[in-house]
Amino acid sequence: MYLLTTQDINDLARELQKTHAVYGPQVNAQTGQVFFDLLAESELPDLDAAIPSMPVKEILFPQMERILKYSYDAQAQRVTLEKQYGEKPKVLFGLRPCDLAGIQCLDRFFLGQEFVDDVYLAHRRQSLLITNTCTRPWDQCFCVCTHTGPAADEGFDLDLTRLDDGYLVQVGSEKGQALADAHGWKTAEHRRLAEKAAVVDRCVERFPDQAKDNKAWISRAMNRITTGFVKHEIWEYIGQQCFECGACSFVCPSCSCFNIEDVTLCGDSCERLRTRDSCSFSGYTRMAGDHNPRAPVEDRRNKRFFCKLSYTQSKKYLRPGCVGCGRCQLVCPGDIGLPNVVQYIRRETTE
Amino acid sequence: MNYQACVCNLCGTGCGQFLKTDGTRVLGVAPIVSHPVSKGKLCVRGWHANELLNTNERITTPLIREDGRLREASLDEAVSLVVRRLGECNGAADEIGLLASARSSNEDGFALRRLAREVFKTHLLGVGAEAGHRNSMDSLSHAFGYPGAVGDLTRIDKADYILIVGTDIARQNPIIGGNLHAAQRRGARLVSLSSSRTQMAKLSTKHFQQKPGTKALVLNALAKALHALRTVNHARHADIDRLAGYTQYVNALRTISSVALENASGIRYEEIEEEAQILDAARSVVILFPSGISGLDKRTIEAICNLAVLTDRMDDPQSALIPVAGISNLQGSFDMGLSGEAGHSVFGSLADPDSPLRALFVVDHDDGIIRNRERIAALELVVYCGAFRNAFMDLADVVFPLTAYNESDGTYTCADRRVQLTRKNTDTPGAGLPGWRVYQAIAEQAGYTWGWRDAAEVFLAITDAIPAYHDLTHHRLAKGFGIHWDITAFPAAGQMKFHEVQIDYPKSPTCEEFPFALMVGKGRHFWHQNNLMRKTLIPRREYDQTLLLYPQGYVEICPEDAQKLKVKDKWLVHLTSSTGTSMKIAVKVSPDVQPGTAYIPYFIKNMISDFLIRYDNAFSAGEESIIPVRIEEK
Repeated sequence: MYLLTTQDINDLARELQKTHAVYGPQVNAQTGQVFFDLLAESELPDLDAAIPSMPVKEILFPQMERILKYSYDAQAQRVTLEKQYGEKPKVLFGLRPCDLAGIQCLDRFFLGQEFVDDVYLAHRRQSLLITNTCTRPWDQCFCVCTHTGPAADEGFDLDLTRLDDGYLVQVGSEKGQALADAHGWKTAEHRRLAEKAAVVDRCVERFPDQAKDNKAWISRAMNRITTGFVKHEIWEYIGQQCFECGACSFVCPSCSCFNIEDVTLCGDSCERLRTRDSCSFSGYTRMAGDHNPRAPVEDRRNKRFFCKLSYTQSKKYLRPGCVGCGRCQLVCPGDIGLPNVVQYIRRETTE
Repeated sequence: MNYQACVCNLCGTGCGQFLKTDGTRVLGVAPIVSHPVSKGKLCVRGWHANELLNTNERITTPLIREDGRLREASLDEAVSLVVRRLGECNGAADEIGLLASARSSNEDGFALRRLAREVFKTHLLGVGAEAGHRNSMDSLSHAFGYPGAVGDLTRIDKADYILIVGTDIARQNPIIGGNLHAAQRRGARLVSLSSSRTQMAKLSTKHFQQKPGTKALVLNALAKALHALRTVNHARHADIDRLAGYTQYVNALRTISSVALENASGIRYEEIEEEAQILDAARSVVILFPSGISGLDKRTIEAICNLAVLTDRMDDPQSALIPVAGISNLQGSFDMGLSGEAGHSVFGSLADPDSPLRALFVVDHDDGIIRNRERIAALELVVYCGAFRNAFMDLADVVFPLTAYNESDGTYTCADRRVQLTRKNTDTPGAGLPGWRVYQAIAEQAGYTWGWRDAAEVFLAITDAIPAYHDLTHHRLAKGFGIHWDITAFPAAGQMKFHEVQIDYPKSPTCEEFPFALMVGKGRHFWHQNNLMRKTLIPRREYDQTLLLYPQGYVEICPEDAQKLKVKDKWLVHLTSSTGTSMKIAVKVSPDVQPGTAYIPYFIKNMISDFLIRYDNAFSAGEESIIPVRIEEK
């Protein structure tokens, strides 16, 4: 546990930029919208910026990625394969705890099961995760309901918390410890933990006034969803509001579905693209032979909420799939972001 | 920051879109949260723009046809060839036709019109979806004094009463659909008038499911009820009764018989009277209707305009009347003067085998509907300009590569007259140029000096020439999210008038022999003949999976009719029309359509080319077109 000044933090970011691709929060000047994106040279992460509008999974699991190129030389009868993704070491500087929770879900999906995804592993293996405790909630936040914030518990390499006189830095991994040791940072006294706890408490206290957009007592909904006791009419009502845009999956930090497509280039070569996919699309669930077990839109919708909130699914992620960032509610042209669906289900329970 | 703000080009809503780009390739998409219309939302098309913009099916170099094959050429060579060959034609005698694109920017459109008039000296100009939109523009001009939307799309967010006539906005312009749904949730009364139970109808407070072809009648009946109510209440509203056409209109409304109304439309007058009471109480009214290729017919749009004027709510700061365009710059194309002129129709010339047409200059055309293919193939010269490879290239003698919407600066005018600027954020693959540069190069070669160095200078010329754009500049448009063009540039703006109406009770053209009224329906992932969507990955898959389920296309009928015909979902049937065309097609059983009606989606090529295209009416009457058909079990 160390105490660093803002200057120390900035120096760290600059130093890491020499050897790593450093990603961090930035504010788009024209729109004021926050993105977690590659920092330009000499650009510093804006640690006071709001929760990024798009999830940080963009860096580890991009919307569209070229993963392979292959070509066939007919004359020599030779096939050549080329790997298209890079393995540049990355730093995710100033992650919000909800986005970290999203990465943990992705880790368990891409790395923690029967198969290990090479592409994701290549991005993830050399990533250094530096989290930033939220000192205030934003309108859309409900991480207190999903146990993903305002502070991160685990999974980071370094964790920053802004205190009155600097940043409290906690170490979460050997990689993080090595970094601390190399810099000889000033050790923080034990009382600083109480200061951090106060910061987190103050943040939680601000939720009722500030984070008004979404409330989702997901533990209540989990039971209903797991046991399948949600009335069909509720799903129908939800399905009617689905515009099948896929936005909820694209902005969800824990959604991991993807599509693979080989695109023919000019000549005899072909490129393999991986793009994000969504369970809201009927082409996603259609099987060979044209059977679609989830043909009606409401069936596809409830699949998403099963995936996020049922016990069986949560066992795989070791936590609920929802991380409380509220982005799905913001981008939904209907009114069926996850927090609202939880409300619909709970309303049904109370009725 | 790899995220660059721009305007989505994939429908007429004009949503705010970020493209994630490294300058050479588009890597991803994000919505703009602060955009006043889209408010951080995008539809399935907008979310997959990165896939479209990454396609390998780009035109990357000028091409010239030699010995039947297209070969690469330099820009100079292609320009010289076009100038020489078009120089041999007499534009003033209607020998040269131009087909513009409603997706091109205003700058490109303006330059193209100048090329047509100044260089080629031709009046033969047209835009793909013009027939439907011209009806809207003419009707709005007559009723409100200017050819454009009254009010704007943000008024959906505050209006008391919202009427949606026709179309499934949830599919054609999903983000507007989303805003309408949000309005309904906050307590606005959302009323849909459509013959099938669309998603929008399901999300509405009230759905009037009228029989096909009777929208105008129902709207006039609503006007009658509203007028009667106000007469009874002695409510005198402004000077509505002094407006031109008032007496004729009101007299015509009075003749509406409730019995005949119910017989023709299937809707009871009492139900309409109840609705009129709610409409009367509303302080602000927003009316939306589809405009473009599958828009409404003239009489329906006139009925909408009349009703809007009669409500006497159009001056309210929260009221609006908006022709919702399906194509990004349809409104702008009309503003730039690219639609055909009376007596000079490029489509008419193509359809007429005896027309003097010898050469055709086409920009970015949708490849699903190349009408009059034989006629075009027989022309002496066909020039095609476009960003994406397209079936029209097979007919072209010369091809020019254009930039995609994010590869050059340009302004786009969306459905509600909002002019928005998109800045170049990615390099063009190959030698693609903005349209105006290509047209300027042709003009220069022909001896004209336009002297534009960038798109901002073209826009300056636009502001000089087009009064409604007089106070706009790229500099002004770069801030915020666009500016609505100035309606006061039209001297008659604000002087409302009624359209002359005739009340009739459309009888269904169906008969015992052809008992089904066949109409053109919509598919969610289908848009613009799929010229663009076919070049994406996910939306194309969604479209393809419909085709896999129904490889020969489908016709939607209701469960009762399916039972009568003894057919089930996916079974093949024979569809025979009253003029003798027939096709084999699968049945899709849907509870959302009325008995006696059938919907054929507007996206399967042979449906359009072999079946629908024989019906002029299917295009001119847009959504209201009805083809009487017989459906027989195979």
